[in-house]
Amino acid sequence: MSASDRGAVAHLRRTVGTATATATSAGLAFAAIDYLGVVSILAYAPGATASFAIFVGGLLVLLVSGVFSELNGLYPSAAGIRLYLGRAVGHRTAMSVTFTYMTTVVLVIAADAFLIGAAVRYVLHEPAALAYVWIAVLLGIALAANLLGVRLAGWVQTSVTYTVLLGTSVLSIIAIFHVGGAFSHPFDLFGKGSFSGIQAVAFALFLFAAFEWVTTTAEEARQPRVITRALFIAPFLIWIVATLFVLGLSHLVAFPHLHGSAYPQLLLGHAALGTVGEMWMLALTVLTALNTFNGGFLVASRFIYAAARENTLPRAFAKLNLRAVPWVAVTSLAVVSAIVAAVVFATGQWLLLVAVGATIEAGIYAIGSLCLLILRRRETRERPFRLVAGRPLAVVGVVVFTILFLATGFADPKNSKHFSIAPFTVIIILATISVLYVRLGVPRIQAAAAARAAAAGPKRRPARPARSETLIAESSSDIDVVPLSSHEAGPSVSDGDR
Amino acid sequence: MADWDELSDALEEYTSTCNANERLRKMQRDWTRRLHFACSDSTDTFTMVVERGEITSTQRGHDGLPDIIVTTTSETFCDMFWGDLNPVQKYLRGEITVKGSQEDVMRLDAISYVIWPEF
Repeated sequence: MSASDRGAVAHLRRTVGTATATATSAGLAFAAIDYLGVVSILAYAPGATASFAIFVGGLLVLLVSGVFSELNGLYPSAAGIRLYLGRAVGHRTAMSVTFTYMTTVVLVIAADAFLIGAAVRYVLHEPAALAYVWIAVLLGIALAANLLGVRLAGWVQTSVTYTVLLGTSVLSIIAIFHVGGAFSHPFDLFGKGSFSGIQAVAFALFLFAAFEWVTTTAEEARQPRVITRALFIAPFLIWIVATLFVLGLSHLVAFPHLHGSAYPQLLLGHAALGTVGEMWMLALTVLTALNTFNGGFLVASRFIYAAARENTLPRAFAKLNLRAVPWVAVTSLAVVSAIVAAVVFATGQWLLLVAVGATIEAGIYAIGSLCLLILRRRETRERPFRLVAGRPLAVVGVVVFTILFLATGFADPKNSKHFSIAPFTVIIILATISVLYVRLGVPRIQAAAAARAAAAGPKRRPARPARSETLIAESSSDIDVVPLSSHEAGPSVSDGDR
Repeated sequence: MADWDELSDALEEYTSTCNANERLRKMQRDWTRRLHFACSDSTDTFTMVVERGEITSTQRGHDGLPDIIVTTTSETFCDMFWGDLNPVQKYLRGEITVKGSQEDVMRLDAISYVIWPEF
């Protein structure tokens, strides 16, 4: 297919426009865990300086937007990440990276289940242990809705996203202008140690994490540029909201109160407007769950289904119920998320979850930049979006995001003056499991699939009748008739076919 | 490259296999879509209409506004409609391109999975 075909406008009955794509991107990124992400930034950048870290993080995300816009233009498909990773670094590495990347979806679903459960329990003044019940109830509802094939309509998802962003902004503005607070340390990026500024920026990146997943909707976009626009507009919206929120938080709530809390947004709501503000922020927190549980479950379960159909995950994950929902994939996601959420609650390690998510995201941005660098050489065809100064900027991306990957990977989420190997250890474990699985598990599954296909018998497609086409070699006086070789007459059989 | 006769035979086989599968029709009972197919190696195009899980028509050329557009080679289309290949593998390699919602892409693959579960 030519580049022009790939970039062609899709004349579909239902297409996604800029507003919906932007809402999808912002909705995927702005989860309840982002409120904790802001506290993590405050741990490394004191007071109002955190907004400066978010500004620098936002500038770096513009580079990410450019990188993913060009990659998406080359491979406008829900399978885009597998395609460009595969072309750039090989299919096995692509599989390992994608499996590790997808664990962030589980982490975000688990984190949101835990955070919302903890927030509801706090507001209702229930015993701590009831958070487990809320986690189970929330994930149970999400599981049931997904198994029944219930989907949020596009306009509902869009409304929910803009309500959360607007609601958080309005309350933050009220907090900023609330009497009695004070801004401190406006430009003190390295005020908490030599590396604190770098770590603050790395955590700021986490606020935008997953905004690039909007590229999985490329196949339904009205035009290729819709996704590009969303990739640039959504981070801008998140930047505004996160900046207002961190300013409001640092203005009204003392950091020691925030650091041990799993619901900083409720504390800000209470400080700004009392019980009304607390309920306001609780409502917004619950609303974020709609996007996470709808979008997160959908993206992850369909990825698992496709991997099982591709024979890179066990076949059971492709099982469909009578509503065409991959029920084993959806149920497994809910169960794993519930276990992770319960472990997080029991250990109180929610900031570790933020650190792991931030590290993986920085790593993905470094790999994305590397892919662009390689594909600039290997893929010369036209793309609907071409990053200006792409090669030097991709090199900058590889270097900067690798530094940020290391900065968060060795961050101590509970003490900004210490280093810790905990986030990096979790990622090494996840990556090792992923690599071992791809090296050892996938070949077995593929061998079993090949045996199954062989046992099913010969190809169903009838052999093409021998064509009467002939090559006519003409000599000066005689005509020689030379039949085509047999393989040219038959249908092609490629890898994976019978 | 497959010609229109081969594509037509493959489509006929696919339609009868799909419509004869009770489980598939039950699963897709809420799925009504118009699909456009385009061969990347020839000028052949065709339209398939699915109404509540039943393929009600297949015709040459593009007709109406589609919900899904599928593009690949004529050979791949033939093999796909005869159930001789796994469409997801081709899709994940970029050999089949689809325009449409993710849910519809999955539903389309689910047809192949239900009628030819050995892949």
